[in-house]
Amino acid sequence: MQVAATKPPSGVTFQGPTVPKTTALGRRRILEDWKFILPQLFFFVILNIVPLFVAIPILLTDMSQFNDPLVNYVGLRNFVALFTDRAVQEDYLPAFQRTIIFVALNYTTVYIFGLTLALLMYEIGFRGGFFTVIYLPLMVSGLAVGYMASMLFAKETGSANLLLMRLGLLKEPINIYTATGTALLLPLMVGWRYAGYNMAIFLSGLLSIPKETIESAVVDGASYWQRLTRIYFPQMWPSFILATTMCLIGSWAVFDELVALGALYVNPNARFLSVLFFIYGFQVERLSMGMTLALETFLPLMLVGIALQRLQRRLQY
Amino acid sequence: MTSQVQTLEALQAQRTSIWTLSKRRLALRIFGIAVMLIYSAFTIFPFYILFVRTFVATADAGELHLWLPKARPVDMNTEVGNLSVFYNLDLKEMKQALGIPKGKFLGARETLAEIAKKYNIPEERIKSYFEGFYLFNGWQTLLFGQAGGSNFWAALIRTILIAFVSLGILIVLSILTGYGLAGLRRRDQMYVYNLYLLQMVIPAMLIILPQYQMFQWFFKLFPGYDVQNSFMRHALQLLAVILINIKGTALSTMIFVSAISGIPRDLEESAMLDGAGRWQYIRHILFPLLKVPIVSLTVIQLPLFYNQFLEPYVYLDPANTTLLPFIANTAGQFSTNFQVIYSGVFASILPLLVVYLIFRRFFVEGVMAGAIKG
Repeated sequence: MQVAATKPPSGVTFQGPTVPKTTALGRRRILEDWKFILPQLFFFVILNIVPLFVAIPILLTDMSQFNDPLVNYVGLRNFVALFTDRAVQEDYLPAFQRTIIFVALNYTTVYIFGLTLALLMYEIGFRGGFFTVIYLPLMVSGLAVGYMASMLFAKETGSANLLLMRLGLLKEPINIYTATGTALLLPLMVGWRYAGYNMAIFLSGLLSIPKETIESAVVDGASYWQRLTRIYFPQMWPSFILATTMCLIGSWAVFDELVALGALYVNPNARFLSVLFFIYGFQVERLSMGMTLALETFLPLMLVGIALQRLQRRLQY
Repeated sequence: MTSQVQTLEALQAQRTSIWTLSKRRLALRIFGIAVMLIYSAFTIFPFYILFVRTFVATADAGELHLWLPKARPVDMNTEVGNLSVFYNLDLKEMKQALGIPKGKFLGARETLAEIAKKYNIPEERIKSYFEGFYLFNGWQTLLFGQAGGSNFWAALIRTILIAFVSLGILIVLSILTGYGLAGLRRRDQMYVYNLYLLQMVIPAMLIILPQYQMFQWFFKLFPGYDVQNSFMRHALQLLAVILINIKGTALSTMIFVSAISGIPRDLEESAMLDGAGRWQYIRHILFPLLKVPIVSLTVIQLPLFYNQFLEPYVYLDPANTTLLPFIANTAGQFSTNFQVIYSGVFASILPLLVVYLIFRRFFVEGVMAGAIKG
């Protein structure tokens, strides 16, 4: 047990000789490794990978709800519905438009909040107090963020509305329940929530830059802007890509905040794509259509995500 | 490269006294701190307003309240109907407390003064009954009321149960995965690792529909599932959420694979020479060395489990639900009473907030360590 007490030197990666596959010892090692891998991998594959394949036969039917007794084969009708079916288009296209505006604005908040805060934090020397406060909203659920958004920006009763009007900064109250209100304010609230998380990602990128490089740039008289564009940003690419991946996947699938804004029942302006899939699957009995639309939406996104992950790994090593 | 990488401690240590800074860097630092202070205020503001709003009666919601409101004097001309619409006044309980006979029906437009006259109740008694009613009816309705067949406390207990059971099992399984994959030296290990990385790019919304279908097939194997409110049904539903939580994520795999890869193999070999089995090695040597990654995973996953909404909302009956779906149900049921909704939202945030503030040091360090792993 004394061995355990001595901590291994940090940063040491063991580069052992690769175990040849053919020897009996090597084969035993592989089997033993799999004994440890399998318990979790079983759940992971069943719950995260298999559903993708279970969906495939359902996509080719008119299955309307879970446990539907009457299921007919319809071929590729669900897949082309997005391009031919009027009713589907009327649901999908506005939701798509709302979602893509949200994604774009939300992505800018990653930089407006996350990157700015990380750069400031780096410049003033890391201060745990500020970090604690900025990371605080991440303890709040998406649902609560949605309710807080309506608390602050509901037309008649929003506290932020009332405050801004009292201060004379606002003439007409903002209404989060309108299409424009949701499009502009929700990214603000979601950006506020994830600010600490994005700051941590960018800060870790900044910390991975060798200090000597920065110091010599300062000595050579580089301005702050030059340091940013020539030294910081080029070496922070892995962080940028990670933040992009997380934001992209997260904001396309935004759901909880919208439920709080009444998207499932009363507020059609908050009906984004993920809400649409949920309604198709659980509420209006168009299950196979909902699954198909979800796949058509998210599959390209997944491919982009995988490409980004590969890029990130290539840049890191 | 590795030796030059900066650490948080080094960055903190490098924070020189402001007196030795050059003018330009001093200006930059003061600017930075000022912006940080403003942003911190901006961050705290919604929490504070939420707290205040839990005490603001719905009828007063149209006015700006920046501080805790004073208790309104009880207005004897208030109509009973308004009280029950905006404040969820429990008429049954009120009748009992004021000694109004059970069979008597209270009209929605009857005022308190009229009731006092009709049933010969002294005004003082009514006033004392409604004392604090405007301030605390949100909290009262939330903490002692019901929504969808569950109450706040039961929902909170289920949430805590799911969060901690999931977290414990997730950590154990992820350590085993990390140990099995450590080093990523073989092709099969690389395939498994990449499979876990896929989790990061598969949105939960994409798989929830077929996954729900699969769970319906699974539940059919148990005859008790179809009986409403049976123990079997509730237990299976909770099990479904826990299984989804422990299935492993890109983050859990990355954290433990890289942590265990950093531990020298010699350690394992010498333990084996001393006669330890692989399980003993994991339990007694590996586990104590993994404190940092365990803290890291905990501080990132705990808020996610505690704040989980989609899966509990889909899988759990309203009578068997966790905190957030309960809050959503409450908001649906008391949609005209903002005070209850905001009390619910605040109450749902508070437990985790307290944990966060107590263990903030672990959160900061764990999150930064996790962010470096990606």
